[in-house]
Amino acid sequence: MEYKVEAHRIMSISLGKIYNSRVQRGGIKLHKNLLVSLVLRSARQVYLSDYYSGVCLNTQHVEAKEWELMDSNQEKPLTPAPEESLSPSTDCNQNPEVPVVPEDPEVQHTSQAVEDSTDLHSVSSKHQAEEESSSEDSTTDVSLTSSPVTCESQCEAKGAEVSSSDCEADANPATVTEGNSQQPPKAHSCSNRKRTAEKTASNDSPVKRTKVTSSNSSEEEAEEMDTGNVSNLITIFGSSFSGLLTKESSEPEAETEDSDSGSGQICCDQMLKNLNPWSTAIVAF
Amino acid sequence: MGEDGESPKLNHSFLRDYVTEADVISTVEFNQTGDLLATGDKGGRVVIFQREAENVKPHISGEYNVYSTFQSHEPDFDYLKSLEIEEKINKIRWLPQQNAAHFLLSTNDKTIKLWKVSERDRRPEGYNLKDEEGRLKDISTVTSLQVPVLKPTDLMVEVRPRRVFANGHTYHINSISVNSDGETYLSADDLRINMWHLDITDRSFNIVDIKPANMEDLTEVITAAEFHPHHCHLFVYSSSKGTLRLCDMRASALCDKHAKIFEEPEDPGNRSFFSEIISSVSDVKFSHSGRYLLTRDYLTVKVWDLNMEKGPVETYQVHEYLRSKLCSLYENDCIFDKFECVWNSTDSVIMTGAYNSFFRMFDRETGRGVTLEAWRESSKPRAVLRTRRVYTGGRRRRGDVGVDSLDFTKKILHMAWHPAENIIAIAATNNLYIFQDRVNPENQ
Repeated sequence: MEYKVEAHRIMSISLGKIYNSRVQRGGIKLHKNLLVSLVLRSARQVYLSDYYSGVCLNTQHVEAKEWELMDSNQEKPLTPAPEESLSPSTDCNQNPEVPVVPEDPEVQHTSQAVEDSTDLHSVSSKHQAEEESSSEDSTTDVSLTSSPVTCESQCEAKGAEVSSSDCEADANPATVTEGNSQQPPKAHSCSNRKRTAEKTASNDSPVKRTKVTSSNSSEEEAEEMDTGNVSNLITIFGSSFSGLLTKESSEPEAETEDSDSGSGQICCDQMLKNLNPWSTAIVAF
Repeated sequence: MGEDGESPKLNHSFLRDYVTEADVISTVEFNQTGDLLATGDKGGRVVIFQREAENVKPHISGEYNVYSTFQSHEPDFDYLKSLEIEEKINKIRWLPQQNAAHFLLSTNDKTIKLWKVSERDRRPEGYNLKDEEGRLKDISTVTSLQVPVLKPTDLMVEVRPRRVFANGHTYHINSISVNSDGETYLSADDLRINMWHLDITDRSFNIVDIKPANMEDLTEVITAAEFHPHHCHLFVYSSSKGTLRLCDMRASALCDKHAKIFEEPEDPGNRSFFSEIISSVSDVKFSHSGRYLLTRDYLTVKVWDLNMEKGPVETYQVHEYLRSKLCSLYENDCIFDKFECVWNSTDSVIMTGAYNSFFRMFDRETGRGVTLEAWRESSKPRAVLRTRRVYTGGRRRRGDVGVDSLDFTKKILHMAWHPAENIIAIAATNNLYIFQDRVNPENQ
């Protein structure tokens, strides 16, 4: 759980930086904002991947084709996430209130398979497992909480430094490019988040990105997938509309309060929701 | 190495506890002979130091004294975009000297200026129609004609703006580089590189444009650019993704297609949230020979051979102990610091800055690095610089500094190495340190 909290913290910090860059002297620095948006994107991927990789633990491998399955199941993985995010605290070191299930050797073994193997397993088993997991929320919760524990143990096995940034190390299993197995899960979760966030999506870019990702499971595609919200930020800050000042000023204040990660989560969602009307903003440059 | 004393900024702000933002030095550059050293600061001022002639003190290499100070750029405002334009001097580059005057280019985020620095030690006296103060004389008092003569006066250094190259860049200028042809120079911003002729201010050629049609597809920006020291058709530019592109202007007018691309595949074991940030190249410099490139990213300096594109030939760890601290460095914005790197005159030693007023030098022949400190408290004029160490494990020696006690506000971002001798200029916030090697003043 800690790395998820850390990912969320990094997201809040990144959004704060983007906001502050607008009031900085000298105008918006494109380079810095690009880097911050990349960090924001990575943090988001990790943040959203944990419950998804929890689902993976009960399944065989995730493949690019499973994309289409996710489309039909898009609502389900989302429900555990908000529930879960409301409980953990922002402090990296505190344990989440959701009870941590003692490591199931079976679960651990599966996650090991997820980590190390690059083979693509059958679609049918995944589909089956998904149906299983979606039918029982409690099962999903269990798998979700056990996944960070597993990831943590893996990191310790790798000898990662236990420090304030151990969350980074914990995030490594999720972000490390160990084959295609990790990519589609992130892509899925990102697309789902995008759909809920942008309910009033007026363009077909989400649909377009779905198709693009399903055909190619390379990491570049997964990143492109996620550019929807994040790159909108780039567009917005590139265009430096004064109208944005009034609109956005109300959100980051809410976001920067770190004391309640639940509200932080909701604020992030709000922020991402509100990005959509600006997605059609013309770049003034 | 010996230290030759510091040259404080004119308003002696080091006496106060805090540093005035405007006094922070933002660029340092020697001219081609090394006799002149220019610094630019965040307040838009340029200070030029001149080396004392050696014949004054025969056994001691010349010291650098203030030669001239002038306001290069003023704060500006872009009314169309409601953006303030900082007056901070991003880069200074000297032109090769062609006559008695010196020329330098200085740039802020948007505008490049060519300055002429000339000396005047004579003035004409004895005008017929004007008196000594320049007031018109009453004609009735003029009874005879005289020929004005030049009389010696106190040395005056005059600095005049000769060209202003404005409106060439939409984004923030990060580099300028004078071409070896002596006529043109390039200026690079985040997405474009323009080539200018030194005599023409209303036009420039766009030679690189990486702006995507849709800004949402933006993935990398240009971080630095430089002309090859000998080949006037070659230049290199670095990107935020850690790649270097060598471009040949003979190939086409728009050099979007690189002649060579230098990149090192990422080490998957080191992946983290911040991998992209720390791989961004903050500075790129050609070696004096023109054969190698030196790049600086957040944790390393790398030497690349122009003949080998698949990876650097040498990599030096500047402060690897910061790798586990990237999260905190991201929070306090230090991870975005852009360090410069420099070659020595023979391309055998490379140097770059770090935190806690430390800077690092690497001997390419032995592969060893040394840490030195630019801090007034621990160095007196003519004292010998001691090497420092950051404690990262193992046996702790006296004088070692722990990683957690590093002062991240004291960063050495800008520096310059004399083109012929072992003299270095280090900018530490608002102070300029000049160090000279008394043991080996000339290069082997």
